[in-house]
Amino acid sequence: MSMRYVSLERVRGLKAFQRSALSRSQGSAGACQGCLSSGTGELPARMRALRNQPDRLAEILGATRKRNQYGDYLSLRCWCAQPARYLPDIAALRLLMAQAPDEIGNPDHWLFLDTETTGLAGGSGTYAFLVGVGWWEGGGLEIEQFFMRECSEERALLLALRERILERPVLITFNGKSFDWPLLETRYRMSRKISVPTPRVHLDFLHPARTLWRLRLGSVRLSELESHVLGWDRGCDVLTDLIPRIYFDFIRGGPPERLIPVFHHNQMDLRGLAALSTRILSLLSNAENLGQDGMELFGVSRICEKQGEHTRARHLYEKSIASFLPRETDRAARRSLARLAKRQGDFDLACELWREAAGNSRQGYEAYEQLAIYYEHKARDTEEARHIVRQALDELGRANQMGDITPAAYREIKARFDYRIQRLERKSRRPLLDLMAPQASRARPTAHDQAARQAGQSAEQIRRRIDGTLTNSSVDEQWPQA
Amino acid sequence: MPTLESLARRRPTSLEVIHQLLSSLVARYRGEEVLTAVRQIPAREANFRPLPSWVTSALAEAYRAKGIARLYSHQAKSIELVRGGANIVVVTPTASGKTLCYNLPVLNAIMEDSDSRALYLFPTKALAQDQLAELQDIGKRLSDSFAVFTYDGDTPNDARKAIRERGNIVLTNPDMLHTGILPHHTKWMRLFEKLRFIVLDEVHIYRGVFGSHLANVLRRLKRVARFYGSDPQFICSTATIANPGELASQLIEKPVEVVDEDGAPAGEKLFVFYNPPLVNRNLGIRRSYINQATRVAKELLAQNLQTIVFVNSRLHTEVLLTYLQQANLPKPGKPDPICGYRGGYLPGERREIERGLRDGRILGVVATNALELGIDIGCLDACVMAGYPGSIASTWQRAGRAGRRSGSSCAVFVASSAPLDQFIVRHPEYFFGRSPEQAHIQPDNLEILVNHLKCAAFELPISPDERFGSVDLAELCEQLGEVGFLDQSGGNWHWIDEAYPADAISLRSVTSDNVVIIDSSGKDNGKPEVIGEVDFSSALTTVHPKAIYIHQGQQYHVEQLDFDKRKAYVKPVKVDYFTDAIRYTEVRVLDIAEEQRIQGPAVRAQGDVLVRSQVVGFKKIKFFTNENVGSGRLELAENEMHTTAFWLTLGHSLLLDLPFSLSQRQNGIFGLLYVLGSMATLLMMCDRRDLGTAIGERPPGAASEIDWEEFATSPPKITQAKEFFEPNLYIYDAYPGGIGFSEPLYRVSNMLLNSTRELIGSCPCEIGCPSCVGPTQEASEGTKEVTFEILTRLTREARLVATRTAETE
Repeated sequence: MSMRYVSLERVRGLKAFQRSALSRSQGSAGACQGCLSSGTGELPARMRALRNQPDRLAEILGATRKRNQYGDYLSLRCWCAQPARYLPDIAALRLLMAQAPDEIGNPDHWLFLDTETTGLAGGSGTYAFLVGVGWWEGGGLEIEQFFMRECSEERALLLALRERILERPVLITFNGKSFDWPLLETRYRMSRKISVPTPRVHLDFLHPARTLWRLRLGSVRLSELESHVLGWDRGCDVLTDLIPRIYFDFIRGGPPERLIPVFHHNQMDLRGLAALSTRILSLLSNAENLGQDGMELFGVSRICEKQGEHTRARHLYEKSIASFLPRETDRAARRSLARLAKRQGDFDLACELWREAAGNSRQGYEAYEQLAIYYEHKARDTEEARHIVRQALDELGRANQMGDITPAAYREIKARFDYRIQRLERKSRRPLLDLMAPQASRARPTAHDQAARQAGQSAEQIRRRIDGTLTNSSVDEQWPQA
Repeated sequence: MPTLESLARRRPTSLEVIHQLLSSLVARYRGEEVLTAVRQIPAREANFRPLPSWVTSALAEAYRAKGIARLYSHQAKSIELVRGGANIVVVTPTASGKTLCYNLPVLNAIMEDSDSRALYLFPTKALAQDQLAELQDIGKRLSDSFAVFTYDGDTPNDARKAIRERGNIVLTNPDMLHTGILPHHTKWMRLFEKLRFIVLDEVHIYRGVFGSHLANVLRRLKRVARFYGSDPQFICSTATIANPGELASQLIEKPVEVVDEDGAPAGEKLFVFYNPPLVNRNLGIRRSYINQATRVAKELLAQNLQTIVFVNSRLHTEVLLTYLQQANLPKPGKPDPICGYRGGYLPGERREIERGLRDGRILGVVATNALELGIDIGCLDACVMAGYPGSIASTWQRAGRAGRRSGSSCAVFVASSAPLDQFIVRHPEYFFGRSPEQAHIQPDNLEILVNHLKCAAFELPISPDERFGSVDLAELCEQLGEVGFLDQSGGNWHWIDEAYPADAISLRSVTSDNVVIIDSSGKDNGKPEVIGEVDFSSALTTVHPKAIYIHQGQQYHVEQLDFDKRKAYVKPVKVDYFTDAIRYTEVRVLDIAEEQRIQGPAVRAQGDVLVRSQVVGFKKIKFFTNENVGSGRLELAENEMHTTAFWLTLGHSLLLDLPFSLSQRQNGIFGLLYVLGSMATLLMMCDRRDLGTAIGERPPGAASEIDWEEFATSPPKITQAKEFFEPNLYIYDAYPGGIGFSEPLYRVSNMLLNSTRELIGSCPCEIGCPSCVGPTQEASEGTKEVTFEILTRLTREARLVATRTAETE
């Protein structure tokens, strides 16, 4: 009964058959680039006829048709002398991944991976039609690219890829943790036949690259990094956004020549990734000598600090501040250095940095606050603490009058300092409790002065409750016990 | 109608109060038929069955600890059927313990195999939250041996992975299933591999467009489950409708067992229909139903009866709330005893109100349909409904909010002067009898089906022998391949497009095209602000240039309608008129599916039609007086759609026989169309916007011979100028492709005509009013008489029987 609705004439009129305005505009942008035929939705009958030449692509690429139990796929291999094989330092690797197993240090276990996909949205309808892998061989990089000429070749491709991953279980990617690998996992699950080859370790260089260069470059796309960090020039590279369309056109019978830049793009991505990993790891193992500028040093010290290598981090922060840094980065470096100094109990340095930083900026007010915390809790100099908070409030008031601060930020920061000054004023009116607390807590805990300790504890508790630090304790207010 | 004396046998508190209230109303409006029905629904004893022995001991113990040691008969029947492998639909009123009907089998399966999974679908997020609390409570008693989560747009990203891996029971909604779960099914592998049950709650909500979409989402869900080797069982629940089994089996496309007995106990309930008295008999104007409902609610609250007042719009919520709060000021230091509850309140506020109602802190609540569905607010004493909720099922659900479990309660329905309200209030037997309301869907609507076919291809390649219901997919895939969405490779059709198709499809309408309404005055922060949206099809009539668009009581003047960018720019204004778009509609019959000669002589038919409509102008109408104070022309794009329609053709001899003038006859035809449209929405449980009406001339090819523009701007002229030879009265589905109203309307057309005749016959107005044949003007006198006469001829047989009609088959 329902079949009567399916009449061809009416089907064509459906909205569901029309493309959205978005994809139309993308199509026209593509035409301007000269990379695409102008027709987007409709497929000329002529193109379908071309489909009968499946080997033509292999011919022009110099690729081989391979076959396994699931069928055919294309494989293209090449070797590049650049970048050259690099033996990484296990200590540098552990800065990126603290619990990395030992085999990560053996570059012969490494497999670089990059995919070209039919879309960026993810989901089970996005295919990885071209998967490139690379490994060190003969002093350079050996690259193998797996390609499916149509969707039904996917299983064969996945099986071949699986073998490569099992051979070299250390997976190296750029943004692979959130994009390439989940997508491949989806593909393996969709195959229902081939189990997912789980790599032993997966090292994604996007995050270290971001830490090192985002401040300088703004964007950390692989191609940006290549030109600015590695000094490479890709020449005329295909636009990433156009890759899915180029593949779809090929599937619909378009000329295979247009795929050549896509293969090239994928190779360049793999080479860039390999070179970048070398650059990052050598920086991490020897930033002191290899760091090109203060920015890189600053990046390395951030990574060290994150992994708990505070001494090295502090040293590098100092070094980066000593070299030229742009203002914003300089501020950030000094702030981090002060944080480390505070953590290590070097309050002279910390205070000096905070005093330099104090001023009308978010970091400036934070510095005021740190100073106030130091004098209130550590140096126990309530007067100085009050003085600093007043200074901060004056600064804030001036900035507000001059319109140098947004109203929302003003309100928020003012509330914090108001709260602090009230507490300090209260405190100055009850010195006895303050005196009792440190004395009592310093007392040696023997059985005899149990009572004294309890009194001290309760005094401390009262004090903290009044201060609001008991319920409101933040990391900044917790001090290392000397 | 029962007399008041007959109610006096037992007098629990709230009945006593309502009794006094009734007496005072009767005394005040003696002679007017104000109380059209007073029904006492007696208390009912529970019908118990023991807990079956196959229920695992831990689960039985957990339920016992909650105070459930025995089952109601319908619960026992449901779980036995599920145990036997059947798909079921449970039809029971509110508060009859229907959640146990699905929770028990699901939990038992999890107890037997801790890896079992179930997916629950609720039409709203709030309902899922409510069920989560219930399941977590049982979970605690079972020492958390299973995991239950909600998964919707509010679920934090970091929690999602755990839900996908560990959730035994995932509570979600159809929209999330459609855009979030199915397109990412590989991440949900664990769920799909062990998917034993799918629970569909409140399936009567899934009718029309929404239901047609859901049926297709379920087709996709079943495909994906099959891919992972599971074949889940369906457990559905619904409010009372005429065709629960038909609806459920249309949705899930499997045979369904209906469980419609009710073994739960119920307290005594008094149901009262209240029709506000007439103030102008000629025009059929009645006292404001909002004021009347306020009065009733005030008196109930004054007696300290916990009361819920339902209204049909957000605006009225606030109005009624203000009245009631003024009458019930909070005691010093205590929170307000009266609250509002509607969409737009924050979730925290809502939870607070729900809690307040349960523990009795809140005495009264004014709510929209947001509180109609299952959310637990405990048992209230009284329910007042200001205006007809739109369907009998909703009315019973709202009434069920009072006296959920035991004790006596009352429900008062206060009718507005809208046609449906007036029909219901004057025909209580229609309401109290067996529900005639049918829920219909059309899963094979081509627009909807093709959209979901795209999603399905995205999810898994489509093999050429696959079907959606009874539709072969091969041909459609071929078509999608030709426009480049799919590609056939290795026999199967693969998705080859960058777009993520589910994003472009909204389940709540046919196309997700919306026009955004932007207030360009920037009155709040100097920036243009989006104040709302209208769907594409109604944009032309509501936000055409120079229209007055009303949003939250504020009037806006539409400055510009940017059709390509789907934006309407408005500025707030204060004027004393509103606008009414003049739409030209032409219907052409494409294909007659069924046709039959009926009394009259006339013909009834249903089939495919082409509807072309265009907004050609608008009228400015003054508030309160409804005077026409101006008009304007518009040149807007023409809208064309294929859809399905039901139509009546009035035979020429029928019209010639009528003892009326030509213009009266024409008026009668328009009046008939108006009232048939109203009655059809009642029978089809749909919104007025879901059905369109139009008049055309038979033969079908020459549908529109009249000068429509002239007709639209000055109706009286046309009636003198032209005469219909044999008019076709169309009632069409207002969605491209049709959503399944036409065929059922054809089937129940006798009932439609009879009910319509009863509606007009019992309307006390003299020459026609908005409650029956539509607003009338001086020039169009006789409309009511002619309409009634035509209907009498169409239903000649029924007149002799003179009682309620049975449905025709």
